[in-house]
Amino acid sequence: MKQTTIRRLISLGMLIVLVAMFSALSSYYLSAGNLLEIVRDAAVAGIIGVGVTYVIITAGIDLSTGSCMALVGMAMANIYKYTLLPIWLMLIIGILVGLLAGLFNGFVVAKLHLPEFIATLATMGIFRALTYTIAIRDAGGVITSQPMTYSTFARLGGSIGGIHIVSIVFIIFVIVGQIVLKKTRFGTNLYAVGANPKAAELSGINIARTRIMAYMVVGFCAAVGAIFTTARLQSTTALLGSGFEFNPIAAAVVGGVSLSGGYGDIIGTFIGALFMAALDNGVLKLHMNTAYQYVIKGAIIILVVMFDAWYNKRMEKLAQERSAKEAVNE
Amino acid sequence: MSETILEARNIYKSFSGVPVLQDVRFEVKRGEVHALMGENGAGKSTLIKIITGVYTKDSGSILWEGKEVQINNYNECQKLGMACIYQELSVIPSLTVAQNVFLGREPRKLGIIDHKKMNEMTKELIDQYDFPLDPTTPVANLGIGLRQLVEILKGLSCNSRLLIMDEPTASLSGKEAESLFGIIRSLREKGVSIIYISHRLEEVYALSDRLTILRDGKNAAVLEHDEIEPKKVIQTMIGKVVDESAGSSKEMKSNDNEVVLDVKDICDELGMVKNVSFQAHKGEILGFGGLIGAGRTELVRAIYGIDRMKSGTVTLNGEKLDPSPKRSIKAGFGFVPEDRRGQGFIPLLSTVKNVALTNYDIIPKNGPAISDAAELESGKKAIQQIDIRPSDPQKQVGLMSGGNQQKVVLGKWLMRDLKVLIVDEPTAGIDVGAKAEIYRILEDLAQSGVVVILVSSDLQELIRVSHRILVMRKGSIIKEFKSGVVTQSMVLEAASGIIDDKEEAV
Repeated sequence: MKQTTIRRLISLGMLIVLVAMFSALSSYYLSAGNLLEIVRDAAVAGIIGVGVTYVIITAGIDLSTGSCMALVGMAMANIYKYTLLPIWLMLIIGILVGLLAGLFNGFVVAKLHLPEFIATLATMGIFRALTYTIAIRDAGGVITSQPMTYSTFARLGGSIGGIHIVSIVFIIFVIVGQIVLKKTRFGTNLYAVGANPKAAELSGINIARTRIMAYMVVGFCAAVGAIFTTARLQSTTALLGSGFEFNPIAAAVVGGVSLSGGYGDIIGTFIGALFMAALDNGVLKLHMNTAYQYVIKGAIIILVVMFDAWYNKRMEKLAQERSAKEAVNE
Repeated sequence: MSETILEARNIYKSFSGVPVLQDVRFEVKRGEVHALMGENGAGKSTLIKIITGVYTKDSGSILWEGKEVQINNYNECQKLGMACIYQELSVIPSLTVAQNVFLGREPRKLGIIDHKKMNEMTKELIDQYDFPLDPTTPVANLGIGLRQLVEILKGLSCNSRLLIMDEPTASLSGKEAESLFGIIRSLREKGVSIIYISHRLEEVYALSDRLTILRDGKNAAVLEHDEIEPKKVIQTMIGKVVDESAGSSKEMKSNDNEVVLDVKDICDELGMVKNVSFQAHKGEILGFGGLIGAGRTELVRAIYGIDRMKSGTVTLNGEKLDPSPKRSIKAGFGFVPEDRRGQGFIPLLSTVKNVALTNYDIIPKNGPAISDAAELESGKKAIQQIDIRPSDPQKQVGLMSGGNQQKVVLGKWLMRDLKVLIVDEPTAGIDVGAKAEIYRILEDLAQSGVVVILVSSDLQELIRVSHRILVMRKGSIIKEFKSGVVTQSMVLEAASGIIDDKEEAV
């Protein structure tokens, strides 16, 4: 069996065991309503996870997605409050802000050659600070939560036939994201750049452009995530998405995307996002102390990364043994 | 068959004033395997880098199929029809064989990669050259030998008529290498030319139609297959002038001094060292010769305890050791690693600090704190002993010349009560003057009773400094020479497996 198939079965198994465990503890957990709720809660992290997966496959990381969401949200709030522009234009501008933020990340990483971790840690601060500078304040200068109550906008936060729109968008992102990754040159290039930049270059791949595009996809995804989050809240604050950058990365890692680059896919991140949401939901529904959520999530990430390191080492050893056998068979 | 595909004429190249290639000619015919040999630093890789457009030549010309060409980068070289199979494999493990072969050139329909077509195209190539591969296998599932075939296939898929292989068997097992040879021969039959760079004489002999030998950046010889004769090749590589003067006979004062170090049946975990046993006597400089990859570095690392041994014992003065760097230092070992800059010293720290780092256990302290005065004192002593110039003890070691840096690395050990000093390629990249001083230091240490284990690829050095030379090949000691009777060719012949190793010579 392929190495990637085994890894897929492991993350799926983790999800199934978790759901089974909570279902045993609470009869409500497995109801259609609750399952739809889990998908809805997974959606924003999962949408952003599509972009973050691309970046991690190139052996990068993006810590700025939470701040990027806040910036997009606040940009839209300004348009809502101070202009008479129609809602579709507000959404497009929001997405442009996300793309610009991604372009900036990509530029710093690919052109200025800063390590991804430091670069996006810095932009995480920069985007948050920009959000504060454009934040809407009351007469006393205090930042307030800005309501955004277009009726069409509110509908985006709602559902069709019981299924949340954000969940539908999530599924679309996963499908398109997977196709782009597996069936286009851009997708193949992401793997090549992550696994072996030297080889990618010798094959004529433009490494800088590939990396910048990956960060722009993250920016786009973060903007879409911000739109659905603010639509559901019907407001935004300067604190939107703070700490949220953890979720897409966690989803990718649990889903088998290798932090050292070159391995993983969107389906994996999809499963990872569902796992994280199912965990949150279970903790909440069982009235456990929510502070434990983070302990459990952190512990799971440590375990998964440890497992991956061990597993990859073992696979390498197997490949070496196999190569010895190949030689004998020939 | 005699048509010339690639010709390099009168190539000159120098790096910051130092000539690396002088008037080098090199010619490859269509459908021939042309081997390129030379000692380290003879200019082989520089020549290849000029041909593939990585370096620009100072003067001379390159002709491809009879026409002069200007190659500015690797892509241009590929377009002409040359491909380089790199030593460190450049395949992407998470992609399939077909995806690797067509990376960056995937056939597409409306922007979507046409996997079906790509797999068919790859299958055609595979059938054409009869490789044991399947287009849809992920490369991660292949061993190193087959990964190399993927890379060769990738080269061939660009319609390459010339493949450049740099030490292609370096990381292959014997069987894998043999199947690679079969492939090389069948490629030759299909009219593909191959430049084959290797240190392994028996491979060159078995495969190549012709052999070009470089020495000190100049052409030393071009031999036809029938003229390839091991002794002659080695003579040509080394140069005749310095060669046959055997090392000045270094008689040990008392050849049967007590045994200090007794190594028995060492195997390392990677399989690079196979059941090595030897003994070293008090005051002996014991040299280790062999080709790169023969397992010498791995052996000394295992003895010192950096890498774990799979089996075997190390006994020092009758006491069995459980090697780890900390315990080895305590027992009286010193270690000067091969990678001086990477592992020998801390470039940002001064001589004093570098010396002190290894010796904090024996430098007097101010209570729990480091004593600056004692530290400085020990640094100064080391500088005196090893004659570092300029003698500023506070100078950053990273700013010194290679020779002085190496002296600092040696100096770290001199203040200890050493019993065994292991030095791995101690004079690589060091000027002649500093070399002589390092030899003096090693000889003085031996005089005072220390066992010096010297690993060196510099044959002249090995013969000059060692009392006794052990030659390793493929992880085992295959030959022992006494000083005074050994010549460079004898060591090289043993290392390449020509003598005393008949069953392995193909």
